Amino acid sequence: MPTARFREELLGEMKNLRAFAVSLSGSVSLADDLVQESLLRAWSNSEKFEPGTSLRAWLFTILRNLYYSNYRKHAREVQDSDGFYSRRLTVSGDQESHLDLEDFRRVFTMLPAEQREVLMLIGASGLSYEEAATICEVGIGTIKSRLSRARSKLVELLGRNDLSGRPIEQKIRRAS
Amino acid sequence: MNAIRKKANAAPDVAALDRKALEAIGRALKAHHADLVQAPLPEKLVELLARLKVGDSASEPQGSGDANG
Repeated sequence: MPTARFREELLGEMKNLRAFAVSLSGSVSLADDLVQESLLRAWSNSEKFEPGTSLRAWLFTILRNLYYSNYRKHAREVQDSDGFYSRRLTVSGDQESHLDLEDFRRVFTMLPAEQREVLMLIGASGLSYEEAATICEVGIGTIKSRLSRARSKLVELLGRNDLSGRPIEQKIRRAS
Repeated sequence: MNAIRKKANAAPDVAALDRKALEAIGRALKAHHADLVQAPLPEKLVELLARLKVGDSASEPQGSGDANG
């Protein structure tokens, strides 16, 4: 039976796991199903988790496998994350560089899943290249090239000049 | 502002643009993640978590070698 400590650590990872699920599936309702199923799977397989290794990486692996085996075919049909995110959040950098979060999300969802997941694992969740490679079942070189392609694509879609120049929302916000 | 306009009119330094663009994307990604993580968990998940029963207070995992008495 899982220990109290395992339970606590699992609870501590739920929001992170859900953030990964939403970003991977593009759908909040799919993400919630995914998280729930992953949680049950992790719970019933708790003895397979090696203490001292990353619980986050272990949970991501479970969820990712579920997504690609059972959920992926539905993902494109249900893009329902609108209304879930905070609205019109601006990511501020230095004075000249602002990026509208909604604009970022719009282009983020245009990336293939293999690029979104690498961005989330490394750029957002703080996992190492090695952990990401294990989770995605590819070599570190593949992880690095996916990451690089993902970043280049985002820069291309958002516009290099906009990212480093004037606020992007001024350009994109529609005049009505 | 004048400085910014002047800069925009000058020939762009591609390497610097790339670096700034990548930094902007890194920040956006972290903001996207932070925004997702701060969202409350859905009710059905909270209920499920509450139902998960753990082993009794003698809760050291079997054979983990992590006994602390």
